[in-house]
Amino acid sequence: MRQSHVVVCSVAILAAFAAAQSQIGRAVPNASVTDFVRFVAHPDNIPVGLPSRDYSLPLVNPYEGNAQALKTGARLYVAYNCIDCHGADGSGAMGPSFADSRWRFGGTPAEVFESIYQGRPDGMPTWGGRIANDQIWMLVTYVRSLSAGKNVATENFAGATVERTGH
Amino acid sequence: MTHRLTLERLLIAAAVAACSGSNQTTAGTDSTGTAKATGAANSVAGTRIAAPRTTPAGEWQMPAGDYSSSRFSDLSQITAANAANLRASWTFSTGVLRGHEGQPLVVNNTMYLVTPYPNVSYAIDLTQAGQPLKWKFRPENAQAAVGQACCDVVNRGAAYADGRIFYNLLDGHTVAVDANTGKQLWRTKMADLTRGETMTMAPIVVKGKVLVGSSGGEMGVRGWIAAIDAKTGKEIWRGYNTGSDRDVKVGPRFKAFYASDNGKDLGLTSWPGETWKQGGGAVWGWLSYDPELNLVYYGTSNPGPWNEGVRKGDNKWSCAIMARDADTGELRWAFQVTPHDMWDYDTVNENILVDLPLGGTTRKTLVHFDRNGFGYTIDRATGEVLVAQPFVQMNWSTGVDLKTGRPNVVPEKMTAEGKNVKDICPSLEGGKNQQPAAFSPRTGLFYVPTNNLCMDFEVRPVTYIPGTPYIGANAPEKKGPGGHGGEFIAWDATTGKKVWGIEEPFPVWGGALATAGGVVFYGTLDGWFKAVDASSGKELWKFKVGSGVVGNPISYLGPDGKQYIAVYSGIGGDMGLLIAGDVAANLPYDVRERGSTLPDLGRWTSWGGMLFVFSL
Repeated sequence: MRQSHVVVCSVAILAAFAAAQSQIGRAVPNASVTDFVRFVAHPDNIPVGLPSRDYSLPLVNPYEGNAQALKTGARLYVAYNCIDCHGADGSGAMGPSFADSRWRFGGTPAEVFESIYQGRPDGMPTWGGRIANDQIWMLVTYVRSLSAGKNVATENFAGATVERTGH
Repeated sequence: MTHRLTLERLLIAAAVAACSGSNQTTAGTDSTGTAKATGAANSVAGTRIAAPRTTPAGEWQMPAGDYSSSRFSDLSQITAANAANLRASWTFSTGVLRGHEGQPLVVNNTMYLVTPYPNVSYAIDLTQAGQPLKWKFRPENAQAAVGQACCDVVNRGAAYADGRIFYNLLDGHTVAVDANTGKQLWRTKMADLTRGETMTMAPIVVKGKVLVGSSGGEMGVRGWIAAIDAKTGKEIWRGYNTGSDRDVKVGPRFKAFYASDNGKDLGLTSWPGETWKQGGGAVWGWLSYDPELNLVYYGTSNPGPWNEGVRKGDNKWSCAIMARDADTGELRWAFQVTPHDMWDYDTVNENILVDLPLGGTTRKTLVHFDRNGFGYTIDRATGEVLVAQPFVQMNWSTGVDLKTGRPNVVPEKMTAEGKNVKDICPSLEGGKNQQPAAFSPRTGLFYVPTNNLCMDFEVRPVTYIPGTPYIGANAPEKKGPGGHGGEFIAWDATTGKKVWGIEEPFPVWGGALATAGGVVFYGTLDGWFKAVDASSGKELWKFKVGSGVVGNPISYLGPDGKQYIAVYSGIGGDMGLLIAGDVAANLPYDVRERGSTLPDLGRWTSWGGMLFVFSL
């Protein structure tokens, strides 16, 4: 397998999990491919009723301002295919933009954690209990960084443009 | 509208309805509104729509008007001489602001519409002034589907048969609705949303079977087509596009024209390991049917993922044209248009079934304008490629080898992990995408809405996770050489040559309608709906609708005996959502910068969801 800047990426899902979890430590106990598939195989990708708040961690981002966690979060963003829904620069594709400083379900670290942990009704899968809470916090750290300081101006037809991922 | 006019319309409606043997309502239709054979005097010699309509010419009962996917209307009141007098007759808001691909149906003086997600359907009474609703049906439709659809939450329309309206829901169900009452008759789960399967395509109904297929080529699905009993909603057969011969329904009756398309279990052996299970080959485009050969034709989507390194081999039957027995689903022939696709060149575009004069005889052909930029004229009985010529600017291939059916690929344009290949034309949107072409037997020409886009293609590693995208590439797009985004062309499929073209500033993402009056209609992304001369391409009339057109015009005869043209306005689909930037940002929590591909599109149009109806 060739070396890549995206360390956790791999063709095989097992390899991806092993790599991600060895990178970050604190793997979910007993998380296996089967579990993972079962998780995503929930009828609507969203739980019937929200999952109980068994986060095992208080809803405070332990990695706020942590540069290493930000970098790992960026790798996880690719490894878990967040990139193809939300765009390479977080500017949105199938899923909403992170780059616009606007958050449908709230943009605090705790709210973004909840969006990833429990999923959202327009198709955001439920990741809670299937990837380590630590990994979710690193994703929170990265995802929030994508909108830091930005407020996307619209329809001025004079400003800069952005490259986008087409499908 | 005045009371008197209403009364007049009712009287006319009653008169038309009562007539059964004397009134000539319009040229090209007989007294009952049934189409005359389209292969008659007004047609180019040797040219004929394979299965002319058996339904009234004044109606539009199936997505493309007929089984042959001609999108030809035999109505001829609107002509090149009078098209300049067209005016908006009435409009209707669908209440949904998403890409309005597809087209309405007209049956028994009733118009049927299906909206993008949440896939509401409407029945509109055309006999009354103000076009009141007969009914509105809002299906149960899981919201999670919105996040599983790669390219907007579109729906490409319904089909009518035996008093029922059939259509697909984004969340993977097919429904049958009573055309008179709007009551749901059955609702069958066909696709698995949790594995990224959605449904957006328009069904056709063949001999009591509703034929449907899945979307999700970007989600690592395993594509299929299925037949459902129109009466009961029970699945009758399902043919997969990857996997074993048993699953693909390849048996003794299968015979492909080209050697590389023949062999045992090609749906397995042309993939490494078990990659065929996530190999794409979805069926999100259009279906055609030849009653004489009893074959159903469709194309399959790109293979997944876009990162070709994980799926070395031909990847059958992705990017292929498939011909199946309509009764049993058996695969009779298949032709893989782009083996081992590495540019996202789906083959889902429509297959238009026409007889054409070729080499001194009349050939039963299938004409297909592929995403890969080649216009194919194929023998629809055998799958032999008779003509294959580029219909847009391209640089990834130097031509199709007619001995093998395979395109000759330019090595520098091959994509691979670790490479960022620049300037590939056409882009992943294809020389043409879902926007269907039309055919007129009067001119013998095909009217094709095309794109002029190129792309860079950078491949990265990707992991399969069910219910998430399975792509592994970034591919920014830009307008192609010439600086126009698209072109509406007339095409001679016997020679593979463009006859005329109208350059458009943006990709032409709406479909075409050809009419017996010698007028061709299409809409543009920047919101112009146009009538052009079928022979010369001369613009006859245009009207600026409220939002960009990605839908397909239809023509019908109103209860007042007049010819009408109807089309959706409502930008979206891949163009609207992924490229047009802020055009899509109608939601306050999701504001996007303008994309670099069509940066000024937002100046010309905005989000919408309207039906426009025009008449003289």
